[in-house]
Amino acid sequence: MTALPGLAGVASVKDAIRRRHGRRGGRAYVVVRWAAAAVFVALLCGLVASIAVDSSQALAHTGIGFIWSGTWNPAANQFGAGILVVGTIVTTFVAMVIVVPVGLGTAAFLSELAPRWLAGPLSTAIDLLAAVPSIVVGLWALLVLSPVFADHVEPFLKSVPLLQWFFHGPAYGPSIMLASVVLAVMTLPTVVALSRTALSGVALADREAAMALGATHWQVVREVVFPGARSGIAAALTLAVGRALGESIAVAMVIGNNPSVPHSLLAPGATLGSAIVNEFAEAAPGIGTSSVIALAAVLLMLTLAVNAGGQALLRRLGPGRLLRSERAERPARPGRAARREVPA
Amino acid sequence: MSRRPAVLALAVGLGLLGTAFGTSASIAAASSSSSAARASTPSAPGGPLGPAYDTKTSSSVSLSGAGANSINPFFEKVFYEYHLKNSKTTITYSPAGSSVGISDIQQDTVDFGDTEIPMSAKDLAKASSAVLQVPVDLGGVAISYNLPGVTGELKLDGPTLAGIFNGTITNWDSPQIAKVSGLSDLPNLAIVPVHRADSSGPGWDLDRYLIDTSPAWATRVGTTASKTWPIPTVGVGEQLNSGVATYISQTSGAIGYVEYGYALEAKFTNAALKNAAGAFVAPSLQSIADAGSFARGLSSSKFSIIDEPGAGTYPLANFSWTLLYQKDANKAKGIALGKLFDWVVTTGQQYASSLGYAPLPADVVSLATHTLEELQTPQGGPLFTK
Repeated sequence: MTALPGLAGVASVKDAIRRRHGRRGGRAYVVVRWAAAAVFVALLCGLVASIAVDSSQALAHTGIGFIWSGTWNPAANQFGAGILVVGTIVTTFVAMVIVVPVGLGTAAFLSELAPRWLAGPLSTAIDLLAAVPSIVVGLWALLVLSPVFADHVEPFLKSVPLLQWFFHGPAYGPSIMLASVVLAVMTLPTVVALSRTALSGVALADREAAMALGATHWQVVREVVFPGARSGIAAALTLAVGRALGESIAVAMVIGNNPSVPHSLLAPGATLGSAIVNEFAEAAPGIGTSSVIALAAVLLMLTLAVNAGGQALLRRLGPGRLLRSERAERPARPGRAARREVPA
Repeated sequence: MSRRPAVLALAVGLGLLGTAFGTSASIAAASSSSSAARASTPSAPGGPLGPAYDTKTSSSVSLSGAGANSINPFFEKVFYEYHLKNSKTTITYSPAGSSVGISDIQQDTVDFGDTEIPMSAKDLAKASSAVLQVPVDLGGVAISYNLPGVTGELKLDGPTLAGIFNGTITNWDSPQIAKVSGLSDLPNLAIVPVHRADSSGPGWDLDRYLIDTSPAWATRVGTTASKTWPIPTVGVGEQLNSGVATYISQTSGAIGYVEYGYALEAKFTNAALKNAAGAFVAPSLQSIADAGSFARGLSSSKFSIIDEPGAGTYPLANFSWTLLYQKDANKAKGIALGKLFDWVVTTGQQYASSLGYAPLPADVVSLATHTLEELQTPQGGPLFTK
């Protein structure tokens, strides 16, 4: 075991590389690097530009109210994304309500508790689940999960006293709830795999220090491992939310495609993605096609907002790897410092 | 670490599997059929277009098409049979929906399209060159339902069906259903109306019928029938005939519209609908054929055979229309397409009945073959001469 190079060590390695490859190799590398970055940026700009141009007709027709106007009925030439935005946010939120405890719990189990013989195969299985194409998940949900939901899960949810506010009305099978469960199934592997890596990345020394102070296993996980991995966990959740917002095919197969105001999680609904799937192939040229592309623009903005929010959250949380005591010592705003004070 | 490549390979394999799932149904069963075709005498299948262009001597031609979902069982069968008789012609068809057929032919990405509702003059103007529309099959739209324990025939008229699909009738024990159907044992069960989430020919047919028979429906949706279901906020929307059929078979209390061929395959019970003569008629090959027999002066602009007269006529029937460029840039492809659809509208009709489609009436066959005679060479001369 050699000691990890400190900051000075990293700088000297960089110097060594510069010396060995000379200026010419360095310049070629810089050119390639810039070119690669430029291609990526050009692709993104092109995509955004074409979406903006193609959606302009719809936005000109409906105005900016397109984003919150409620009625989506292509047959009557009524185009408004409002209900679809609500459907998208609701399905994603419910999916995250499922994913956060289950995903983080699984990740903590894999990195902290599971014996080696179980953790390896289980991690591989979860990675494989991430590779299942969404149409396969959708088919499974439509053919297998939907009848089970209609006959057993949804009647049960309706019978639980407090949940009745969310779950009422006839149990159709395809519903906002089923779509959320499908989204949870699809995003769970991402969350588990990334958070597991983040949790395992917390330094052994930190854990040992906490143990040496007499912390129980649970206290170590709660006070040291999770706080240390929170930036990685936040990144995992941001990715999952982004994927859930944009998922189209599998959602279109199970949500019931009914663009009305959702009054219950058991009611069929519609999302931006599912509406794009259903309308795009047959959208009437002109305003119809333009409106579908405008849905894509709204979806893009929503995803962008979530990513920006995630980035901001990451920046606020800092790089992780901080013990609570260290944080408490840092100068912080009074309110936050008071909240985060460590019990003696 | 040694596990990583294996995991990667598995992931790639699964990805490929997904791609295979995603691709359209490929009809050409090349490997299974070529040997059989070579063993028998390879006769060029032909209808009235005659043997002038014998595709068996030409080089291999691969034709791709896209369009109506409703015609898919029929196309699968006839394209397979045609390929057996003529192994040089390979045909793939992607049943993604009528409107895909129209937009694909407009954008010139397929060799032929198919739509349940013919292209309008406006649609035709958006195509890169002249498009011919050929009627190729006669199908019906079944109103299928899932009501366990109900044995009597469910009879429905336009206003009752409109009430179910606009959300004013919500339970099977509604007095209006009991009165119209004459059934007294209908259960106290919520009705789940199922409509197509994508736009569809069957949706247009039912919308047309409801507009014609229910004033309440016409007041709500207007008098122009739409391929996109006009009231998507009632009930559940599913994709394609297969999605609607799957949902009906899974759900007690569900009722929806599917192409008769799909309803037949799923062994659904179908409602008898009140026709223009006031009789209640269930979909069958005979009642659909009766609707087709009223197709006087049929053309791509006068195509509707919804709610035709006649006591035995089923009110929801329609022809499916294949879309071809009048001038295919590739002459060999033009000839192969002409021969293929000439065979489909004549000899190929023998396969219709077993799949739930009625054979084309004689005057429609003649309309189809006369339309095919208008096919041109890339230079503009007639492709087929008598």
